[in-house]
Amino acid sequence: MKKVMTIILAVLMGMMVCTASAEEPKTELVVFAAASLTETLAEIKALYEAENPDIELVYTFDSSGTLKTQIQEGAECDVFVSAGQKQMNQLDITADGEKNPERLDFVLEGSRIDLLENKVALVVPEGNPKGIKSFDELAVLLKDGDILMAMGNSDVPVGQYTQKILAYYGLDEEALAKAGRITYGTNVKEVTTQVVQASVDCGVVYGTDAFSAGLGVIDTATAAMCGQVIYPAAVMKNSAHPEAAQAFLDYLRGEEAMVIFEKVGFTGIKK
Amino acid sequence: MTDLFPLWNSLRIAAISSVIVFFAGIFAAYYAAKLPRGLKGILDVILTLPLVLPPTVCGYFLLLLFGNRRPLGQFLAQYGIRLVMNWPGGIAAAAVVAFPLMYRTARGAFESFDENLAWSGQTLGLSNTWIFWRVRMRACRQGILAGAVLSFARALGEYGATSMLIGYTPGRTATVSTTVYQLWRTNDERGAFFWVAVNLVISAVVLLAVNLLESREKKTGKRMTN
Repeated sequence: MKKVMTIILAVLMGMMVCTASAEEPKTELVVFAAASLTETLAEIKALYEAENPDIELVYTFDSSGTLKTQIQEGAECDVFVSAGQKQMNQLDITADGEKNPERLDFVLEGSRIDLLENKVALVVPEGNPKGIKSFDELAVLLKDGDILMAMGNSDVPVGQYTQKILAYYGLDEEALAKAGRITYGTNVKEVTTQVVQASVDCGVVYGTDAFSAGLGVIDTATAAMCGQVIYPAAVMKNSAHPEAAQAFLDYLRGEEAMVIFEKVGFTGIKK
Repeated sequence: MTDLFPLWNSLRIAAISSVIVFFAGIFAAYYAAKLPRGLKGILDVILTLPLVLPPTVCGYFLLLLFGNRRPLGQFLAQYGIRLVMNWPGGIAAAAVVAFPLMYRTARGAFESFDENLAWSGQTLGLSNTWIFWRVRMRACRQGILAGAVLSFARALGEYGATSMLIGYTPGRTATVSTTVYQLWRTNDERGAFFWVAVNLVISAVVLLAVNLLESREKKTGKRMTN
């Protein structure tokens, strides 16, 4: 019995030694990004990892509100790209008390930048069953028509922008929801899917999501309706690899990455 | 938070799907037992599938069937039947997911039924329907009741397939489970906890009622022996 155990132990140790020296350990960079960046960041991952073989990018895509909560609860994250200033402000200690009421301090000082600009768009399923032609028309239909609109919930940046648009038209969101004219998605991709599958008559998503899903954009919201849609990005204070994270953030602002972003409809913000 | 629509909606969806599943499960169990062996095995797998599939997979299949772009969905729409983004769709989702529970429990109960009782009934000239409802169902009462309670509880707690099929429209399609999820996502801790408590209370009441029924039966000894 003793002999068998010794042999097994020796084999196991041999295997450990072999595997340890077989690969250089890669640096894992965890990137939390808004759901609307799914396609573009996936493309960028391939390019970045080819140019930096010692880095492995691990993505988590979800609504920025959910990501902010996860970061707050201690999730491991090196880079955070939010679809709205609100979520980044809530993690940034340099933001004032109103924007960061919980006084959270997760953003690495000096790393926060405005990365991209997006547009909020009104989309409809193929064939436009309700024949909606603009946000103005949507407002009229919501007030007293028979229509079902999908939007992000109040934790989702695109949902927050939609709320601003509803306020711009003087519509009462709660009343509309009670009347069964609004249905909520938990992130922008869920809203997009509901429109693509024609489960709803229309939806409010980003121009980039419309492009990626092949949806026709009926109307685009102006800055007066919902403000500018800016995507901030930052390195997280608790990052285990702040230099690598900063390097990735710099790459995102560079030419190669911007080409990919602009292809789907983002506008890069030049400093 | 005091908008109690999700409670009313969950209860009606669970109640209606439980009734559908009750009859569908019993009849499936009864007739499946009479099939030739090969066919019985295949049918059994198909009917039990929603039990082992993740609810989101069930939801996906339901969308494939009843989605507004799908042939079946469009066909039904001509007759005014829509099952996506409205509360009747919730019945479809809950029924599909709860069906295997009723089916399996009923089958188990029927298989332990003493056929002599049924045959005796036949020699006495009783109709098959009479025998089914008055003899077989009476004797299998325990198992059938257990199945009914399980499927009601499952229907009440359905989330994945429901969320995919009917989404979350407050006041129209919100159930207790989708409401808890949305309230949690929008950081309404108190609201979410309120609905968790509501669900706990309902489940506890249902289980208590079942236990009471069972203990009462044992006391009066009114059971047909198998």
